Amino acid sequence: MDKTQLEQNQQEKPISILNKSLLTGFVGGMVWSIFGALSYYFNFTEVSPASFLIRSFWQTGWTSSFLGEVLGVIGVSLISIAGALVYYLALKKTNGIMPGVLYGGAVWGIIFYLLNPIFAAVPALPDMTSDTIITTICLFVLYGAFIGYSISYEYHDLNQPADGDASGK
Amino acid sequence: MDNQQETHVMSRLHDIEKFMDEQVGIEESFDVGFRQFPILGRKLNMYYVTGLVDTDYVIELMKELMEWEAEQPRTRKVFEGIYEHLVHQQVEIVESMEECITQLLSGLAVIFVEGEKKAFIIDVRSYPGRSPEEPDTEKVVRGSRDGYTENIIENTALTRRRIRDGRLRHEIIKSGTRSKTDICISYLKDVADPGLVKLVKEEVKNIEIDGLSMADKTVEEYIVKQGFNPFPLVRYTERPDVAASHLFEGHVLIMVDTTPSMIITPTTFFHHVQHAEEYRQSPVVGTFIRWIRFIGMFASVFLLPFWLLMVMEPSLLPEPLAFIGPNEESSIPVVIQILIADIGIEFLRIAAIHTPTPLSTAMGLIAAVLIGQIAIDVGMFVPEVILYVAVAAIGTFATPSYELSVANKISRILLLLLTAFFGVKGFTIGFTIYILALARTKSLNTPYFWPFLPFNMKAMMQILFRLSVPLAKVRPSIVHPQNNHRQP
Repeated sequence: MDKTQLEQNQQEKPISILNKSLLTGFVGGMVWSIFGALSYYFNFTEVSPASFLIRSFWQTGWTSSFLGEVLGVIGVSLISIAGALVYYLALKKTNGIMPGVLYGGAVWGIIFYLLNPIFAAVPALPDMTSDTIITTICLFVLYGAFIGYSISYEYHDLNQPADGDASGK
Repeated sequence: MDNQQETHVMSRLHDIEKFMDEQVGIEESFDVGFRQFPILGRKLNMYYVTGLVDTDYVIELMKELMEWEAEQPRTRKVFEGIYEHLVHQQVEIVESMEECITQLLSGLAVIFVEGEKKAFIIDVRSYPGRSPEEPDTEKVVRGSRDGYTENIIENTALTRRRIRDGRLRHEIIKSGTRSKTDICISYLKDVADPGLVKLVKEEVKNIEIDGLSMADKTVEEYIVKQGFNPFPLVRYTERPDVAASHLFEGHVLIMVDTTPSMIITPTTFFHHVQHAEEYRQSPVVGTFIRWIRFIGMFASVFLLPFWLLMVMEPSLLPEPLAFIGPNEESSIPVVIQILIADIGIEFLRIAAIHTPTPLSTAMGLIAAVLIGQIAIDVGMFVPEVILYVAVAAIGTFATPSYELSVANKISRILLLLLTAFFGVKGFTIGFTIYILALARTKSLNTPYFWPFLPFNMKAMMQILFRLSVPLAKVRPSIVHPQNNHRQP
């Protein structure tokens, strides 16, 4: 039984966890930045994906339109591929959902604290409302959990199928 | 009830009668029947449970034996002779009294022959039950109308009618020290994950209880450790076609005797959002139905808390949506109104389950017209509250899985309270916790929120779009099928 299962999995390997991870990164970036744009629309946050990627660099009228938000979402999705790659290289062997959550929190810290000066359209951390901070942390945590859990699950699923069966509940 | 010690069948009928009287209470229980008649100078004791045997067959069996006796054949092989004259395809010879009793109480007839240390068990069962009907909760416009019944034998037959494959396995396990309920584990031998089959079998074998009166539910609670998680960790179906399609996908089914609900394992959240009807319509229509349903389900959880948030902080609303929110003031806070209305709908739903049909019309009338309208007229409720609570309630009813809809309702109330107390922060944190809680749930080692989290592109596409059957070439990876391709 183990043999057939292993062969099975070796056949599947060529689809490559790396590609799947990058795809996960793209989709994760898209899904959660759409939620980000929505929470900007409903004024949960003062910043949207577009504030970072579009409005910080171009201040023309169209940037605050719907088009600006769409471009912002696409931009985040592309950058998120890099986020997934980092997770894949560094943390793919972790287990469960917590590492992803922490990763999301860390990414939030980097973007909102360390890189904050780069983004002209984003207010400094002390100037943000608490709603903005909480909402964005939540979104980044969800994003981190999404790519983190997906990548590590895929990794464990393809590499240690027996482990998945015997690990108990 | 100690099953460990085995008693050998006794050769003296007197001992047997005493034993049976002690164990089953032939004298006391009126439903256990007993008949003695002579054959070739020996005596023959037959035991049966009156309600569970088919009288015609029992008469047929006795007639044959009595005619044989009337011929007065010259043979010494009485036992073998009787065996040959038991006109039935399922005759078994056993040597243990305990087995005789179990089988007797399952509805089989037991025959003891004087002077023999063996007994015959003849399958003359005929259980009281209904014939297959379309299940109430899984109706379709077109397609097969048969549904599982309370009889496990009929249920295996309904499955076998759809899968005439020698590799379909129906393994039977008895469980419950008093009820001795039959539990059948069905899977395709060369498709289902052997690890999962083993796990399910072990879990079922480890059930230690006197009786499984709530059949499927009892088994479910033993095999998945639910804890405080309100979400349904297994999917039930009463439709043989749904069951068969899951078997083809590589799922393992658990059938429990006395229930029409099959347990499908492993289950994910998204199994609960599908319905047979989608697969009866063209892919586009199926996809459309599914999207509408997703919207309904999403609304059933998030619409009310979101609206409450907008009422609490109107400044959040973007310009085009500024009209949302109550125009008139009410003396009761909106969150209390929502909770009262929601609980009112819950009253109605609970009451509807056990209200007989003739009365339910009256009940609906009272609920809808009197309470709804008058609550507004009196000034208890703002009309908008009724609107949003009603939309959320309809969303709940649009959820195909009843269990999931109730779990979502609980999530909605928690989310409402969080929003009421903490505003935007409560809502976003509640949303995050809802998603993460679903994601970290596991049902039989299977991530519950798969394929969304952990993400799987191919499977997610199949959830979002109902693909036509020829396009769905591979089995879902979540069941770890041994054999990935559906089309050989």
